Amino acid sequence: MENKDTDYLLKVENVNMVFKTPALKFDTLKERVVNFFKGKRAPANKFQVLENINFEIKRGESLGVIGHNGAGKSTLLKIVAGIYKPTSGKIDLKGSVVLLNLGAGFDMEATAEENVYLNGAILGFSRKQMKERFNSIIEFAELQDFVKMPLKNFSSGMVSRLGFAIAIDINPDLLLVDEVLSVGDTNFQKKCIEKINALKKNGVSFMFVSHNIAQVKNLCEKTLWIENSKIMGYGASNEICNEYAEYCKNKK
Amino acid sequence: MPTISKWSKNRNIVHELIRKNVKTQYRNSFLGVFWSVLNPLLNMLVMWLVFSQFFGQNDPLYPIYLLTGNILFQFLRSSTISSMTSIVNSRGLITKVKIDHYLFPLSSTLSALVNFAFSFISLLIIMLIMQISGGYSLFGYQMLGLILLLPAFLLFQYGISLFLSALYVFCRDIKHLYTVFLTLWTYITPVFYKLNRLDANSIAYKILKLNPMYYFLTYFRDSVYNMSYLGGGMASWKMLGLLYLLGIASLLIGYLFYKLLKKNFINYV
Repeated sequence: MENKDTDYLLKVENVNMVFKTPALKFDTLKERVVNFFKGKRAPANKFQVLENINFEIKRGESLGVIGHNGAGKSTLLKIVAGIYKPTSGKIDLKGSVVLLNLGAGFDMEATAEENVYLNGAILGFSRKQMKERFNSIIEFAELQDFVKMPLKNFSSGMVSRLGFAIAIDINPDLLLVDEVLSVGDTNFQKKCIEKINALKKNGVSFMFVSHNIAQVKNLCEKTLWIENSKIMGYGASNEICNEYAEYCKNKK
Repeated sequence: MPTISKWSKNRNIVHELIRKNVKTQYRNSFLGVFWSVLNPLLNMLVMWLVFSQFFGQNDPLYPIYLLTGNILFQFLRSSTISSMTSIVNSRGLITKVKIDHYLFPLSSTLSALVNFAFSFISLLIIMLIMQISGGYSLFGYQMLGLILLLPAFLLFQYGISLFLSALYVFCRDIKHLYTVFLTLWTYITPVFYKLNRLDANSIAYKILKLNPMYYFLTYFRDSVYNMSYLGGGMASWKMLGLLYLLGIASLLIGYLFYKLLKKNFINYV
């Protein structure tokens, strides 16, 4: 515990992310063949989503991520979760991570029960381990009457409740939350905030993407502000959030 | 969170995916998984009514000939077709959680194996009926050959499945092309016709010899019931070696193709 500076949970160094999306989208063979003979190749649109991102999270510390839509916040979370590989840069994560976003990792054709077990397996739990957790997950999500119903018949609030209930029951080292708290009724939101605070006491770290500045100030010690793929500010939440609010005001 | 090896984690995932696939397949149907037994029987009955006059005249066991051909080819058809769309159809998972994409065609192939096991019950029923009513002795040690055949056939199918599922991400038309190709493939495989009608020097016979399914099906028939139509006797080791070679070659090609394309999956699903 002496050298606290190196005692980080997540360290992100010089991360760049470039998306190459085809400018002309050839989805069918016909288009491909026709365009091939016309000499048209699918030119790639290069699109820099993240530029030189650096930050770190200590164990038990929470980081808010703010910025305008399309700034690259969700992409950053997906990179930390390991879904995308960054174009360059280094991600050093010393623990387990779970990403929570809208419609999080569900198969909409399958029932709530099947999705709980499938998600459990993806997160590294056996069926037996998940059976022990099943009731508390369903109870927290308040879905006792809908266990055998396919998810496609759920409301979006119900789906995100289920996702949240699974993620918090699993106790990862780092929980990435992408605007999940904005759905769900007030009661459930309150329940979530309570649970998050309880988990924080247990040493779980969070990364919050949110447009609710008050919530970020409340829940996170530090905040990362991303604008146009670059870091605009990084530091104590109060300070950065106020700067962001100021920036938004001036922009209008 | 638990720390377990990647192998056992992926095994758990495949297990759950198979469970989900088999369950969703028969959701809202009254007979449920029983259809996997009934369907091949009904299919066989139709084909027997149509073809028995042409191809089955001298063969009292023609229903078994048809059924073996049908269920093995149906196994290939359902595993490859469901695998082809498996990665794209799992976009909800792929874009939100970290998961190895090759697990989806793998689970689809293994789900088809579950259905094949049920279809096999229909074959056993017909064999039992034939044995009792016709006095044939159909059940024997040669059936152990099936256990040797299955891994090779699964490798063969998984190779095709990997190839198709990766290609489908970028080019959705192959769904239509592949169904046409499957029809062709059915006709160049002796599912319902007999080879003894063909001249060994004919072009048709030579094409047949290039068809991997011809070898899988012949071995399958030889091991299921002791009535060989080619060369006779128990299925040979040499043939088995060839089947494993085909399986491994298919897997290798499929895997390399998958590996070549997988980097860009996430932007296209």
